[in-house]
Amino acid sequence: MRKRPDLYTNYKSESAIFSTLTQKVWFVLLLFISLLLPFYLSNYWMLLVTTSLLIAIASWGLNIVSGMAGQINLAHGVFVGIGAYTSAVIGGVATSSVIGFELDMIFWLPISGAVAALIGVIISPVSARLKGLNLGLVTLAIVFIGSHFFSNLKFITGGAGLGRKAAKLKFLGFDLDSGISIGNLILEKNDVIYYFSLILCILLGIGAKNLTRTKIGRAFSAIRDRDIAAEALGINLFKFKMYAFALSSFYAGIAGSIIFIISGGVEPGTFSLLYSITFIAIVIIGGVGTVLGPLYGAFFFTMLPGIIQVILHALGVADTGFFLNAGEIERIVFGFFIIFFLVFEPRGIWGIWFRLRNYFKAWPFSY
Amino acid sequence: MAILTEVISFKDVSLNFGGVQALKNVSFDIKENSLFAIIGPNGAGKTSLLNCINGIYKPTTGSISIFEKDSKELHPDEIANLGISRTFQNIELFENMTALDNILIGAHRHVNYGPIRSLFYSKKVREEEKKARQISENVIDFLEIEEYRYSFILSLPYGIQKRIELGRALAMEPKVLLLDEPAAGMNNEETEDIARFILDIHEELGITVILIDHDMNMVMDIATEVVVMDFGEKLFQGNPADAARDQKVIDAYLGVS
Ligand SMILES: Nc1ncnc2c1ncn2[C@@H]1O[C@H](COP(=O)(O)OP(=O)(O)O)[C@@H](O)[C@H]1O
Ligand SMILES: [Mg+2]
Repeated sequence: MRKRPDLYTNYKSESAIFSTLTQKVWFVLLLFISLLLPFYLSNYWMLLVTTSLLIAIASWGLNIVSGMAGQINLAHGVFVGIGAYTSAVIGGVATSSVIGFELDMIFWLPISGAVAALIGVIISPVSARLKGLNLGLVTLAIVFIGSHFFSNLKFITGGAGLGRKAAKLKFLGFDLDSGISIGNLILEKNDVIYYFSLILCILLGIGAKNLTRTKIGRAFSAIRDRDIAAEALGINLFKFKMYAFALSSFYAGIAGSIIFIISGGVEPGTFSLLYSITFIAIVIIGGVGTVLGPLYGAFFFTMLPGIIQVILHALGVADTGFFLNAGEIERIVFGFFIIFFLVFEPRGIWGIWFRLRNYFKAWPFSY
Repeated sequence: MAILTEVISFKDVSLNFGGVQALKNVSFDIKENSLFAIIGPNGAGKTSLLNCINGIYKPTTGSISIFEKDSKELHPDEIANLGISRTFQNIELFENMTALDNILIGAHRHVNYGPIRSLFYSKKVREEEKKARQISENVIDFLEIEEYRYSFILSLPYGIQKRIELGRALAMEPKVLLLDEPAAGMNNEETEDIARFILDIHEELGITVILIDHDMNMVMDIATEVVVMDFGEKLFQGNPADAARDQKVIDAYLGVS
């Protein structure tokens, strides 16, 4: 006999990450598929998957500060940039124009997260003074301040238009830049990045889930929904907004420290306002304030160009014969989805999944 | 016999909003373990008194001491953490959350760990969360709201929402509980329920209760002391039976000036 799924018999099962056996089975299955992915997918698709995982990590960060704690942040991309340059300096190669220490990933990965988190802490007092649109405006200013520094601190970033090489992939003394062979299994650099990204994505995803099921997440939601009531319940707004910015920037920093190793270089122009806004769009499309939403949104956003390419090829209009090029179509489709989700499904892709799931749960008695 | 001490004391408190004088030179002491009622017509300044106590408003002149600390130097969350909790006249629950989550947020000050531990869901976190849950379950038991535990606030009737807001305040395990018109908008039966809960909170849990009501009936039966407010001024302070006989109070309620 099937047990009642909503009946919890003890506190532990109620607060578990996966509350049902089905969810556990799915997780293990997905994990298994993920581990085998590099053996079945082409390089092109593997790069998209890896990018999706890293973008998901950064999006979780934005979801913490904006989705959970309700603090508008238009400068999330800047923190990704801070992570990228921290790793490039600590783990990258020095040249005549930029500094670099070629240290191991075991150093640059946590330090990149920590530096971004620290800058997040430094700007968080702004959110204690300003709310809503005003906070949005200040974070907008941070995008421009960030761009200015990124362009002008040439010994760190290489300067506008030029950029610098990203960190080297060295882990526990192993040089992974040219891949690694374990027995007769050969992993290329991109496969290695993929596995690192996968592990980080799982760990940080669990971290995001843990926040929601503990005091920290509850305090964030309280501040988001009713800050005066939250304060009257003993929640220190200043402290918790600081936590939100710190955690959010930490996620961004971690993602940023790795993501540019895929292409090999970072250029200051990347961290534009549009780049920051992309994360907002991803969180909206995925589902604001949900744990899985940013993951869905990140995959959707990153995979979209690939999918559009496939469709254009199938229609035979890939190269010529169509008045819009692939890039333009991408932007239009993406813009369309943002509006669609804002208007029709504010809970994003997560919301659609949630409804589908409930529909099939009730099947065949669905109406 | 124990010596009764003041938990909160108002000294010549005035509060202005531009031209509006919400409070005029109000002074009174609230003794530990009292069930202290504040009554008065709408706009008399009752809610302003509560907002001053929990630090949302700061007096324009005069001072308020809470457990002998000056409220001017404390943020609302610091005042809350001294053990002062409250409900609001217009329910201020977190509507998108379940009743249980609301009550758990009430237990916030008893849960002790930081964000990094939270990310890892460490042993300490699990223990502290269990403690928060235990506190919340006690409150749920006490207020007889077991069946609404997992309901979202928006799906609950008004009377139950009021009770859950009371639960959220109780989960702070406060020393002093401020209730802003807890029976407003309720029918007779619900009002009786609330009155019973307030008495239990006062007597069984030993919490000092400060109770606002615009109407005298409920208060008269349960309060140990009453202050009557009118146009920002204290008209009367004393025991409830005397208030009903006081000419100034009768005039205020009949609208005679
Ligand atoms: N935030 C505020 N801004 C301006 N005026 C206010 C504010 N809060 C209260 N008042 C004014 O103070 C007076 C007392 O209000 P209040 O304390 O809410 O009375 P009561 O709770 O007794 O009905 C009213 O005239 C009200 O308009
Ligand atoms: Mg009022």
